[in-house]
Amino acid sequence: MTYREKSGPSRRDVLAAGAGLVGSSLIPANSFGQTGAPVDLANWSPEYVRKIAGTLEVDTAADCAKIVPLDYRGNITFWYVGPTDASPRIEHEIDAEFWAAFAKTYPNITVEKQSFDYNTILDKLRTAALGNSAPMVARLMLLWAPELAAKGFLNELKPEDVGHSSAEFWPAAMKAVTWRGKTYGVPTYNETMALIWNAELFEQAGLNPEEPPATWDDLVNYSRTIKEKTGKFGYGMVARRNAGNTPYRFMPQCWAYGGGALDETAAAPRYEQVLLDSPGTKAALQASYDMYVRDKSVPVSALTNTQNENQDPFLSGNLAMMISHPSEYAVMLDKAARLSGDERARADRAIAKVRYGLIPKGPARRAVAFGGWNAHIFKPSVTGGKHDMEAARALVTFMTGPEWSTKLAWAGSNPGNLRGFKTSWMKKRLETIRFLDVTTSMLTYGVPFPVIPESTEIMNIIVPDMMQNALTGRMSVSAAADAAARQVRDALSI
Amino acid sequence: MAVMEVNGRRPRRGERRSLVRRIWRQRHDYLYVLPAIAVMLLVIGYPVYATIYLSFFNTPPNLALDDKIFVGFDNYWRIAMSDSVHQATWNTMVWTLWSTLFSFIIGFAAALALNREFFGRALVRGTLLVPYVISAVAAAYVWRWIFHSDFGVIGAISVELGLTDHPINFLDNQTAVLPSLILVNVWKEFPFAMIMMLAGLQTVPDPLLRAAQVDGANAWQRFWHITVPHLKGVALVTILLLLVANLNSFTIPYVMTGGGPAGASEIWITHIYQIAFGRIRFGLASAYSVILFLVMMSAGYFYVRALTRGDKDNS
Repeated sequence: MTYREKSGPSRRDVLAAGAGLVGSSLIPANSFGQTGAPVDLANWSPEYVRKIAGTLEVDTAADCAKIVPLDYRGNITFWYVGPTDASPRIEHEIDAEFWAAFAKTYPNITVEKQSFDYNTILDKLRTAALGNSAPMVARLMLLWAPELAAKGFLNELKPEDVGHSSAEFWPAAMKAVTWRGKTYGVPTYNETMALIWNAELFEQAGLNPEEPPATWDDLVNYSRTIKEKTGKFGYGMVARRNAGNTPYRFMPQCWAYGGGALDETAAAPRYEQVLLDSPGTKAALQASYDMYVRDKSVPVSALTNTQNENQDPFLSGNLAMMISHPSEYAVMLDKAARLSGDERARADRAIAKVRYGLIPKGPARRAVAFGGWNAHIFKPSVTGGKHDMEAARALVTFMTGPEWSTKLAWAGSNPGNLRGFKTSWMKKRLETIRFLDVTTSMLTYGVPFPVIPESTEIMNIIVPDMMQNALTGRMSVSAAADAAARQVRDALSI
Repeated sequence: MAVMEVNGRRPRRGERRSLVRRIWRQRHDYLYVLPAIAVMLLVIGYPVYATIYLSFFNTPPNLALDDKIFVGFDNYWRIAMSDSVHQATWNTMVWTLWSTLFSFIIGFAAALALNREFFGRALVRGTLLVPYVISAVAAAYVWRWIFHSDFGVIGAISVELGLTDHPINFLDNQTAVLPSLILVNVWKEFPFAMIMMLAGLQTVPDPLLRAAQVDGANAWQRFWHITVPHLKGVALVTILLLLVANLNSFTIPYVMTGGGPAGASEIWITHIYQIAFGRIRFGLASAYSVILFLVMMSAGYFYVRALTRGDKDNS
């Protein structure tokens, strides 16, 4: 195969520059007069998060007016992954509220918005960009930005362009919007997950109902014990191919054992060393194999399941543990509200016994996939020449400010703008959303997926294939990991 | 201008001049089909050309399409050497042949049953059409839950009846997954064969059947010696159309299993989709598409031959 890297600085140079940019302490003041990081990340804990919530008042309209006048007239097209039938009702309400609020703030900016399914938006975006009909603005999952930036589809865009400061956002989030030393987006909200369990099933299995498994080895043992003692499935494994849910659940396990896809867990990753065939990755894969094949303590359907397929079994008391967002609780409440009779009673019992805890740690670390979404502005060359930069900046400023960075993250996420943690809306979230403090405290363990264009291929195809090859017995655990590592080396030509 | 064959051979010079005169005399007929041809060139011709062109390039995810790298036949060589292609090819053959065979047999049987009068015939015919008209995506999702390896209806019934100790593993089993998907596909496709064969059965001359009955032919003899010969043409067309449809079939395997587990239900179409939109290798996916296109064109050639042979027989 003939392959040629584009000429320019090496990955090492640009990524080191990017890390320096992100880690720099000399962040200029934003247009709102804020300097430096607005929160103390070194002391991040559920207690600290509660302490700072409600200490900042925000006037979003006034803040936006400093960037783009409120009477500005313009048109923009916007693509995003909006609420679906599987989303909790509150997400639908907030989505509607957001657009109403933007229309009120900027009554003369028309937004042609389109909402797509999570699993289809990226394909449609690639096709649209090739056909010069990409939207002007899009809110995209952070894994997708490097490919779009590498292909030259995205305008350079940094928080300073929309009145914020880079220091106001999670360093890992800023890393995810940086490609070859340049920034191409502004984080909107950032997601982590937690371990969710059914305390009643723990109790029936003779386990402490209020304590999650501390390590991944413990999780494997818990899953087996629950299956043996109750007949119910222990852990809701997800191993479907081409579904984003899969790497978000397997990679934290992999990182915990000291493995990884590349060196994404390093302080300054270079993305030149493949770790899928490392002892840590093989240990994580072996743990999955033990649960699926040896113990049969996870659903047989894991190979074709996404997280959606775990929801009903958990709610009906047939599944004891799963990894998911804080919004999973809201989904359970919504689903239970639609049931009746015995099914409703079982669902209510499961909900009453829901617990959230930190994702288990492994020999190397505790880790969670640092997920999230970023706002990007596309270049006029891929939008068919239609471009209204000021209107686009207005939307991005509005969306990434502390108010809407918090509100849009209401049920399932955390504000990308760190100032959002200090607002009254964060305080209300903490008071009304159960378990939010748990997922919030996982943020410091967040590891972003490799910030390279091949990340989607690695996470959505190669990693699930590795899992399926091992779990079906088509290959041994070691051979499956080795084969996956070869594919990554071939893809990256290293 | 391409030279048309006359009576199966290249025309001589005198004949070519008369051919040109005939085409010129009928130029208005060509003008009438010109808009359709223009649209076809735009929506089919250009994409085919672009796909063939792209198949000679490497398009890694970190390069814009404008920066693609010419690699000649390297993509085709990679396909020939790829293990995953061998599995996808085998799966495609199994999927296509069994889906076509069972769809045709069940559709033909249903057509034979519906060809005679009975009470409620219209209702039965309408009911049997339902799988064909249902959205493939909706059907795939419903069947996915029917076949669900842990909480599916079939598995639950089999445990309840004591047939098995555990729910049956249909979709997460490398051996059972393809037959399960074929079953769903046959359920979806057989009404098409039923409609085609039912239409064909209407052309079988009734007097001939009655005359044969008077002469002492039994039901099987009438079917085999009268009905089947009359249905050869429509049967061939139906089978070819089913073959093409099944080769192209994407929704059921993709929605139900995504090609898993471990590639056990990966067919060419889903494999191409993964290469293009999962791995973002448009050049390689284009090479796959060109190969599939050539296979489909071969099937299309036989389809057109079967159609035109029918026209010649009738003329």
